[in-house]
Amino acid sequence: MRQAAAVGAAMAATPGSAVAQAPGPAAAPATAADAEPEALTGGRAGSDFMVDTIKALGFEYICANPGSSFRGLHESVINYGNNSKPELITCMHEESAVAIAHGYFKIEGKPLAVMAHGTVGLQHASMAIYNAWCDRVPVYLLLGNTLDATMRAPGVEWVHSVQDAAALVRDFTKWDDTPMSLAHFGESAMRAYKVAMTPPYGPVVLIADSELQERPIAEHAAPRVPQLTLAAPPQAEAGAVAEVAKLLVAAENPVLIADRLARTPAGLARFVELAELLQAAVISAQPNVLPPTAAGRMNFPNQHPLNQTLRSVAATAEADVVVGLEIANFYGATNIMRDQLERTTRPGTRAGAKLVTISATDLTSKSNYQDFQRYAEVDLALAGDGEATLPALIEAVRRLITPARRGAFDARGKRLADASAAALARTRSDAGYAWDASPISTARLAAELWDKIRREDWSLVNGNLSGWPQRLWTFDKYHQYIGVSGGSGIGYGAPAAIGAALANKKYGRLSVNIQNDGDLMYAPGVLWTAAHHQIPLLTVVHNNRAYHEETMHLQRMGNRRNRGVDRAHIGNEIDNPAIDYSKFAQSMGWYGEGPVANPNDLGPALARAIAAVKKGQPALVDVVTQAR
Amino acid sequence: MRTLLLAAIVIGLSTLSAAAQSAPTGSIEKGRATFLKVGCAQCHGREAQGSPTTGPRLGPGAMPWAGFSRYVRTPRQQMPPYTDRVLSDADLADIYAFVQSRPKPATPPLLRP
Repeated sequence: MRQAAAVGAAMAATPGSAVAQAPGPAAAPATAADAEPEALTGGRAGSDFMVDTIKALGFEYICANPGSSFRGLHESVINYGNNSKPELITCMHEESAVAIAHGYFKIEGKPLAVMAHGTVGLQHASMAIYNAWCDRVPVYLLLGNTLDATMRAPGVEWVHSVQDAAALVRDFTKWDDTPMSLAHFGESAMRAYKVAMTPPYGPVVLIADSELQERPIAEHAAPRVPQLTLAAPPQAEAGAVAEVAKLLVAAENPVLIADRLARTPAGLARFVELAELLQAAVISAQPNVLPPTAAGRMNFPNQHPLNQTLRSVAATAEADVVVGLEIANFYGATNIMRDQLERTTRPGTRAGAKLVTISATDLTSKSNYQDFQRYAEVDLALAGDGEATLPALIEAVRRLITPARRGAFDARGKRLADASAAALARTRSDAGYAWDASPISTARLAAELWDKIRREDWSLVNGNLSGWPQRLWTFDKYHQYIGVSGGSGIGYGAPAAIGAALANKKYGRLSVNIQNDGDLMYAPGVLWTAAHHQIPLLTVVHNNRAYHEETMHLQRMGNRRNRGVDRAHIGNEIDNPAIDYSKFAQSMGWYGEGPVANPNDLGPALARAIAAVKKGQPALVDVVTQAR
Repeated sequence: MRTLLLAAIVIGLSTLSAAAQSAPTGSIEKGRATFLKVGCAQCHGREAQGSPTTGPRLGPGAMPWAGFSRYVRTPRQQMPPYTDRVLSDADLADIYAFVQSRPKPATPPLLRP
């Protein structure tokens, strides 16, 4: 047991402390108490109970960059817990650790645990936590801290201690607690998991105080691991569901817009059932983008005849009823704003169109960070989880359909099928332009990649590539697409892809990451994590050698001020020198190809990289691309 | 950070012959260099092929000179305006010659349904 009088002895073994750096013979103990040998923990330590609790929650992995404030828990995970369920994933940045958990969840549907310092580690992790918050993804954070000031060693332990560790991220987490006993830890651990896994999902924080971790458990006072019971997801009110069904059945041109609707494969199936029942237009929308290029989740097959995403502006303008299902930015989906000095907005829907939202986000609101988007004026707002509400909505619709309406639906379905087929043909034609260009066109890269993966059980775990995959590939399974970061915080892509690939590994899927170059350089050490843990993943670098989104913003500013765009690359280019991502990856244990600038070299390079992935090695192909 | 992407430019379509009749003479090669220099390629691609999320294909034969030049000077959608102070009429004519000269490709095997 650690006691105040023994702190001096403990300091002598504390890396980084002033005492540890003193020459041995000169660092003689000052008191008799200092000379006593350290008391050993004969039985279980507090962190062993924490591991019992963590195991009861069923975490497959626990991600961490090591830190002394959770050294007791770390030791318990690997020794007492035998480094199995959870297995420790060694991370090189806390932001990577959280983003790995983020990506993993969107494949597996279960959260991962993350350990971090309550101070410096959480500060590193905070951007990734914000992404998870905005993307409605549960991440389970365990933060080390030493609340009792008399137990802290002078120096580093003080600057790594905090009164209220979770305060830093309270604006964008669902719940947190600082347990003062192991029994308290057990109950709060269960509560945290339950809160995180009740839609809308979100990250949670539990403080693992170092005293609780490191003190032994008295034999007669061993706490019990409480039972976990998850809450059933909230379904929207039945009367309101019936009203929405009435609107949908009576509509001539209903449009269903989905963003983070499908939480599970069943959600995708139910959404297809609803759309087909109504023969309604579907738009899978990415927040903040109109026309949309991708969805926040895999909600609906991209080549389904009812999918009107490629003509989303026209479909929205035609609609007499628009239902937004778990769409974060319904205002943005139904209005069009022009980015100019005096910003103007015009409706994207026709006058009189009925607007409806169904979302669990209405049940959880915070005020500081503005991810809730602009207020949307709607006719009906249903507070409830979209996926959980779909079965009731389907049944309500089914009850109202008459033979006459069925006939109208079938005619509408044919019109929509013709429109989506025409849009697809146009986009395929567009993809052929600049086919042989170097740098390689984004369409060519998407087509070459699709040619190599289409016969595999593939999973696109990150990357947009200007929306070409959604145009040229066929997405029809839930695991084939996991959406975007949520908070648009750069640095998400590489670690989230590795987390998703970690989840895909046991299913033998080919995980594909289309990796933006700027995103990769935020915390590139995560490549080592993938190699170290033998996580198979194909990463194709969309290397346009720039923070290109910002280049376009600079062009806008330069032209608006009539100064031209000649210098828009300054501060935005990632060139001179160009980074050799292939060598970079090879240095961390990956198979590497590239840089590939000749489009005719691309197919063979991808084939060789996929062969390496199939042997269990992560592989990277650096492709020098056009900007967009 | 704002994440507004440049949306499609809506310009009336016309035939290539009609466009050629009214367009000033421009240099394709100078137009290519200017197209890169003044940033057109950042949203529309180095071959003016377009990109689904940032800017549409500009050639070949996509629009008449009158609509093209009017839109570049006074865009009505998301594109930033290019005044004659940052892009001269001669440079704009060169750019137009460049985008009109882009070849229409045969459908590559990988894009056949």
